[in-house]
Amino acid sequence: MMEITLQHYLVLSTILFAIGLIGVMRRKNLLLLFFATEILLNAVNIAFAAISSYYGDLTGQMFAFFIIAVAASEVAVGLGLLVLWYKRTGKIDLDAMTSMRG
Amino acid sequence: MLENSIFVLLALFLLLGSAGMVGFKQTLFSAISFMMAMLALAGMFALLDNSFLFLAQIMVSVGAVVVLSLLVIVSVNVKEENLPKEPAKFRWMLFAVVLVAPLAIVIYKALTYMPHTWAKTGEGYGSLKMMGMTLFKDWVLPFEIVSVLLLAAMVGAIVIARKEPSNDA
Repeated sequence: MMEITLQHYLVLSTILFAIGLIGVMRRKNLLLLFFATEILLNAVNIAFAAISSYYGDLTGQMFAFFIIAVAASEVAVGLGLLVLWYKRTGKIDLDAMTSMRG
Repeated sequence: MLENSIFVLLALFLLLGSAGMVGFKQTLFSAISFMMAMLALAGMFALLDNSFLFLAQIMVSVGAVVVLSLLVIVSVNVKEENLPKEPAKFRWMLFAVVLVAPLAIVIYKALTYMPHTWAKTGEGYGSLKMMGMTLFKDWVLPFEIVSVLLLAAMVGAIVIARKEPSNDA
């Protein structure tokens, strides 16, 4: 059996990013949009951590740490907005959010 | 080898969890499989000797993000018939998979030409002490900016979620 190398981590990160992208583009449930965004960010995190270990340099881990912080704040604000939107309209359908259409 | 089997297991959980997150119709099931994916991701960080990221992932992603999302899902409690209609969802996903697969193969082929050896890391690589030293020596300014961002997000979330603007003159 072959050894786990950087390529495995990067291909895993690619597949995960693709799954997240499909989730962002094709799902209409607003809550799932946040989950899919998290998946996208965490796919990048895997790549950062793997490359950081590959070079023996801590910079990639720093980036991953900052991405985690940004993702947390994004979810906090986004879920607040979602609750507000649901109270106003009773829907969490992305295609129904057309009030800003020109 | 033990490391290989752990990697395969974690990757399987990660992919299954995120695929389930995209595929389930019920939001609660999606949240649970998202939590599974996040736990597997934390295990992946541990496999890469990043103990700090492992702890941060568990605490932030699983402890904060998933719990907050579950709270919102349970308190919003969308009825089954109020969930958005998504006809032909799986056909689109299959199409996207077919579209993405060559890209992953190309990336794998391109990366096989890189040297296969991992860098020799010294004692305590990725430990809390070393991360702290790097964070507060070289990365102080980004760290402070992230603190300001988190403060702004917290204040913003509170302002958004407040019941009524008290004196909106």
